[in-house]
This record gives sequence, C-alpha cells and structure tokens, in this order.
Amino acid sequence: MDKNIIPVGPYHPLLEEAEYFTLQVDGETVVDIDLEIGWMHRGHEFISESKTFTQSIYLVERICGICSTSHPIACVHAIEDVNKTEIPLRARYIRTFIGELERIHSHLLWLGLAGHFIGYDTLWMWAWKYREPVLQMFEIISGNRNHYGMMRVGGVAKDVDPEKVKSLLDIMDEIEKKIQMIAKAATDDPVLKSRLKGVGVLTKKDAIDFCAVGPTARASGVPIDVRKDEPTDAYDLVDFKIIVTENGDVFDKTVVRLLETFESIKICKQCLEKLRTVNGGIINNVKEISPGEGIGRYEAPRGEVFHYVRTDGTNRPVRHKVRAPSFVNIPTFKASCKGIPVADALITLAAVDPCYCCTERSLKIRNKNNEPYQLDLMKLSREKTEELRRQMK
Amino acid sequence: MHNYNEFISLMGNKIISKIEKPKRLYFEVENKNINEVAEYLFNKLGCRLSTATGTETYRGIEVLYHFSHDKTGEYYCLRVVMPDKKNPKMNSITPVVRGAEWIEREMAEMLGITFEGHPRPEPLLTGNHPQNIKVPLRKWRSNG
Repeated sequence: MDKNIIPVGPYHPLLEEAEYFTLQVDGETVVDIDLEIGWMHRGHEFISESKTFTQSIYLVERICGICSTSHPIACVHAIEDVNKTEIPLRARYIRTFIGELERIHSHLLWLGLAGHFIGYDTLWMWAWKYREPVLQMFEIISGNRNHYGMMRVGGVAKDVDPEKVKSLLDIMDEIEKKIQMIAKAATDDPVLKSRLKGVGVLTKKDAIDFCAVGPTARASGVPIDVRKDEPTDAYDLVDFKIIVTENGDVFDKTVVRLLETFESIKICKQCLEKLRTVNGGIINNVKEISPGEGIGRYEAPRGEVFHYVRTDGTNRPVRHKVRAPSFVNIPTFKASCKGIPVADALITLAAVDPCYCCTERSLKIRNKNNEPYQLDLMKLSREKTEELRRQMK
Repeated sequence: MHNYNEFISLMGNKIISKIEKPKRLYFEVENKNINEVAEYLFNKLGCRLSTATGTETYRGIEVLYHFSHDKTGEYYCLRVVMPDKKNPKMNSITPVVRGAEWIEREMAEMLGITFEGHPRPEPLLTGNHPQNIKVPLRKWRSNG
C-alpha cells in the first residue's frame, strides 16, 4: 500500500506552540500517526540553573502563555518542599484563587477553539467574549492580563484588596450565568452530540499506559487530580469535586472541562469570601534554601505540572526539571487517532488541549480510487458538522 | 499517613540507599534491578510515572524516575547512577511503562545516555535543529 501522509504543522497562524504531526491515511481513514516536537525547545531547565530562585519563578512563568501561573505555583511548591516552608493562610487563598481563575479562562479558550474547528463559530465567539471579564479580573488584581507575577517562595507577591472583593464577586456571578448559558447550548445541541460522541476515544487502559493527566485522563475514567491527591495551598479548605467521566471521547473531554469550569467558579467564590475575613501577612520571609531536593506539582488546566528542584545551599538551583502536562498527553494521539476519519482528526488532536491546532495546511493526496484531491482538514471538519446539521433538520 | 515500610520490606534487598521524607521516598537501585522495581511500582502499586530527571553529578550521570502514587499523593523516586560518564548506559523502562518513551528519548539526547531496549532510540527535541547539537545539558559541566 502506498503511504499517503498528511503533514500537520509545524507552523500556522492558529498555533500557540509548534508541533508536527504526520497522519498516515488509507483513503479517508487515519491508520497511524507520528509526532515530532522540538521547535519550541528553549532550554528553560538549563537557563534556570543560572538564575536565582526568585528569577526562576519569573522564568518558568514564561514557559506558557495560557497556564502562566501553573508553572510558578509548581515551582514554588518544589522550592518550599526542599525547605518545608509554611505559607500564610491569606496567601494560600490568593494562590488558589489565581490558579482557579486561570483554569476558567483556559477552559473557555479551549471551548472556543473547539467550537471553531467543528464549525460552531457562535460558540467560539461566546466563549472568548465571556473569557474577557476573567482577564479583566486578573488586571484588577495583579495589573496584568497575563503573566501575573503573583508567586513567591513563602507566599504571594501582591495582596487582593478587600475593598475590591465585592466587585470581583459580582463579575464572578455574571460569568457564571453566561457560562451556564454556553454549557446548556453546547451540551443540549443534537448536532454537536452526534459530532463529538464516540470520536477519538481514549480507553482507560491507554490513558493509564501513557500516564495521561488532567481532563484527558479524567474523561477516560482515571480519577486523578493533584488538587485532591496532594492538596496544597487552600485546596483542603475549600469544597469542590473532581469531574470524572467514562467514555474517553471528545464529547466527554468537553463535558469534563465545562463542569470543571463551574467547580472553579465555586472555588473562586469561596476564596473571595475568605479573603474578606482572613487577615494577616501574605508572605513568610525565606532567607535561605537548604541543600536537598524537592518535588512540586500543581493541577494546571491541562493536567499535572511537575517541577523538581535540587539545591546545594546557594541561591540557585543545581538542577531544575520541568514537565508540562502536554508532554504526557500528546503521545496519547497514538491511541486515540487510529481508525478515525480524517475529518475527525482535527478535533481529536485538539481535544487534549495541546495549545494548538493548525490544520489548514493542505496538500494533494490520492484517495482509494487513485483520484487526486485537495485536502483541507479544517474544511473537512466543518463540512462534516454542516452535513449532520442538514440531516437533522 | 501511608508509609513506605511495605515497599521497603519487599524491595529492601534491591535498594542501595534511601532518603525518606514526608510523602517522598528517594531510593537508589542498581541498573540490573530497575525493570523489576519499575514493574512493581507501575503494575502492582498502581503508580503513574510523572517524569524522570537526568542530571550530571560528581558521582556520574544520574537518572531519577518520579513515580506518583495518586491514591495517597506520595512519590517513589527511583534513582540509578551511571559512573561511566563517557559512555553512560542503562536499561530502558519503556517496555514496562509506555509513558516513559518520550522522557527517555529526551534524556538520551540531552545527556548522552544510551537506554538499552528502548523501542525508538532517536532524538525527540533536537532532531530538526539546524545546528548539530550534542548533549546540551552536559556541555558546560565537564569534558565527560
């Protein structure tokens, strides 16, 4: 059999990170997938060894633009794990609040992109419109819409003004109503259901074998969440539940993210209420980091972020290992993409939220009857949704 | 709090040294025993491989696998040290834990380690680099 290869990536205006996929197809069915990464390798681990601990936090904040507070939280957890540093109660609530706000904006971003890829541009515009107030909240708290610079070893850098809590809670209420509207529109839509149900299934066994994390694992029935498994900051002080579904398809991954957004709103509200009453400092002064090794992790919107720090008593790490969730989630494509139609490949690749989805690159391939045709993945994906819509009218 | 006694009593003869902290166990094993210990952690205890860290130390090239026991939030960190810095070799655990494939490929190209038995021993990150990059994480540290 002649191999027909569809290249996907590595660069595209839609991409936030560069990845290169080669889909091996037989007619319109994907029979295998291969991945190449490395275009974004910037040597953060090496650079971090020449920075002080405080500088390292700023450095890791710039690894990713979407989860720009997950890396700093995991990094400070790792350094605090070496020293066994206690952090003030108020700082714990602020950390949790910032982390959960980030989850809301990240999930909304993904939902918008997913809607766009399958031809639901209304969903895309709604999701991104209502993500805007979340970014404004970040600006109110930290002065920045992204890269908030909030984390420090021993606490946080900036306090949340108690006088602003009421206005923040009002914005939170407003966002909740809008997301409820989006969730209802998305999950009740029969076209969307038939478009996403049973597509790109990742079985529980594959999720465990590939060591998948975050919503990718939870949608396949693997109940792991760092916030519950090893609660840090204020996660043992707030009430929330982890969302687990069993099917492992794209629809379940969507449902997990949508329901998680409501849990995050719940956590944010509890934290804001506590910030009205809990007083005290926001940082414990850490004068030195003792020699040793520490592990820090945090449940980022895409799954567990892992940081390992080895120290020798100086003000710089000897070794700083960083592992982002996409590093373990992306290899699951090997399992979830096999045997699916090419039209579903785009949304399956996007379903683990690898911060990307570039697929308008097209090339000439031949179908089973040896007839050449132009293939545009985005167009195929959107046409499939249109076809379903027509059938259901 | 769960403790590591059961694991230590079962695998004690294979553990060369250990450091126990709250929710963290760092222990060193010999290269020949790594697959057996990894299999016990992954299949019997139900641990998940978070990642692995490769480091160049004065003792040699060191690889530290971080196994997360999600039910208790504990970490089992399995350490292997290769004293031969010029030609570091160790067994791959990818045949046991499929999730180790990418991180072992990364460590191989970053530190020059040969993972014996790895199903796909090719560069992960520097394969398409315009310059011929070799073992970047060791470059500034020693002459090997």
